[in-house]
Amino acid sequence: MPHLVLDPHLVLDKVSIHYDGQAEPAVERVSIDVAKGDFVVLVGRSGCGKTSLLNVAAGLVAPARGRASINGKPITAPGSDRAVVFQNDALFPWLTARENVAFALRLRGIRPAERARRADELLELVKLTDAGDKHIWELSGGMRQRVGLARALAAEPEFLLLDEPLGALDALTRERMQTTLLDLWTASHVGVLMVTHGIEEALVLATRIVVLAPGPGRVVRTFEPGFSRRYASGEAIRTIKADPAFAAARGELTDAIFEGEAA
Amino acid sequence: MTVTSYTERPGHKTDEADSLSVPWSRPSPKRKGVSARAVSAVTILVVLALWALSARLQLVPPVFLPSPAAVWTKFVTVTRDGFVDATLLQHAVASLGRVFAALVAALAIGVPVGLAIGISTVGRGIFDPLLEFLRPIPPLAYLPLVIIWFGIGEPSKILVIAIAMLAPVALSTASGVRGVSQERINAARSLGATRAQVVRHVILPSALPSILTGLRIALGAGWSTLVAAELVAATRGLGFMIQSAAQFLVTDVVVMGILVIAAIAFVLEFTIRRIERVLVPWAGRE
Repeated sequence: MPHLVLDPHLVLDKVSIHYDGQAEPAVERVSIDVAKGDFVVLVGRSGCGKTSLLNVAAGLVAPARGRASINGKPITAPGSDRAVVFQNDALFPWLTARENVAFALRLRGIRPAERARRADELLELVKLTDAGDKHIWELSGGMRQRVGLARALAAEPEFLLLDEPLGALDALTRERMQTTLLDLWTASHVGVLMVTHGIEEALVLATRIVVLAPGPGRVVRTFEPGFSRRYASGEAIRTIKADPAFAAARGELTDAIFEGEAA
Repeated sequence: MTVTSYTERPGHKTDEADSLSVPWSRPSPKRKGVSARAVSAVTILVVLALWALSARLQLVPPVFLPSPAAVWTKFVTVTRDGFVDATLLQHAVASLGRVFAALVAALAIGVPVGLAIGISTVGRGIFDPLLEFLRPIPPLAYLPLVIIWFGIGEPSKILVIAIAMLAPVALSTASGVRGVSQERINAARSLGATRAQVVRHVILPSALPSILTGLRIALGAGWSTLVAAELVAATRGLGFMIQSAAQFLVTDVVVMGILVIAAIAFVLEFTIRRIERVLVPWAGRE
């Protein structure tokens, strides 16, 4: 989609990814456009290249062909305008929760008092007000992911790249983290690009779902479910999930993911 | 069966071990009975008893094996009056000073070298063969060369010890650096860290547990090089004390010196393990 970029946009334009030593490209000609305020979720079976695409957006993997850009500038390296949250939180165990959150601020040479103040605000935002002095190994999986999210937000990114951030959590924690993610998204006005295996998760969170199929990775369908907007405008998550429309969308999305299966 | 075995041995939560039915291979710290530490204590007591007994029965002449009591007496008199112009404490301080000076030098060189090996291919290409060359050479072999090059003064003694310490420090640092999770590095970069900041804020702290392990091994290696380093033109030091005593066949001082060296090594090891626990409490908990 060629356009004059005025709003922040994270764009993958006909991106192909080819890993060394592999005959087939991992991803072929995939285009994804994330505007600020979007919550784009990539779903698809294993090997469809979702994480590879996220890594291209992060600047960790260079595309073989095509173009990745942020606000019109090509992406060549990782940058704090696109903070990444990984499945295995990747927190720094030698720092406390607060110091982890303040990491990006420390890199920028912001004074300790100011760092601590900002970090505490963010910890409050992810509902970990009293955990600032805790060590990482004292936190549960869900709490660690909250710290990871707060740490990413501290960099004041325009976009958040989430690589299965809830993948390692138990089902109940996952459910609660979904609303936390939505709250953060609405509060911070960032654009989100997220990879997940969870079908229901994708429906709850996404403004747009991009369904990918493997061999080589390509886009097979796009959905605009709209349930997350309903949550943002005040509807309870339970009510949304109980809506027959949600069940219908779930069936449709599941079909789309497994469509290529028989072929 | 699962329930009973669980309640019987709270340390074990899986019953895979049961299906293997090799009870002797299970680590069971909470099981009643002898602990390894108790066995060690008994072993030491038995050795001491045998030593005392053989001395009492005069199975071996005292010039070969003095009695524990004679060694203890020497320990007291050397501590108080000294031997070859220095008290035991002065000898120990001289030796410890050399070893710690060497440790500082080995860390100052070894940690950057280890970083270079772990981070860059060029660094590995340069330093790996040099270290592999240096590592297996016994200190007594390069001692003469060090003396030819640097004379018989204090720097040579420190250098001999430092050479022995360099490889463990550098190689442990390198393995720590190589073990840093890529995800952690990626996370830091995506938070805006430059290459230098990644090294300073992610790689170094991640490698710290390994560096401390290297330091511990290095201290052991350096301490065991002590006698070699003090072979030439020393006037103080535990190694020098032992050699002087040996020349006059004062075997009780020799034995006492050996025991003091062993005891200090034990204390150093213990201290560093404590330091590790304070400095890197996260190690092994991730």
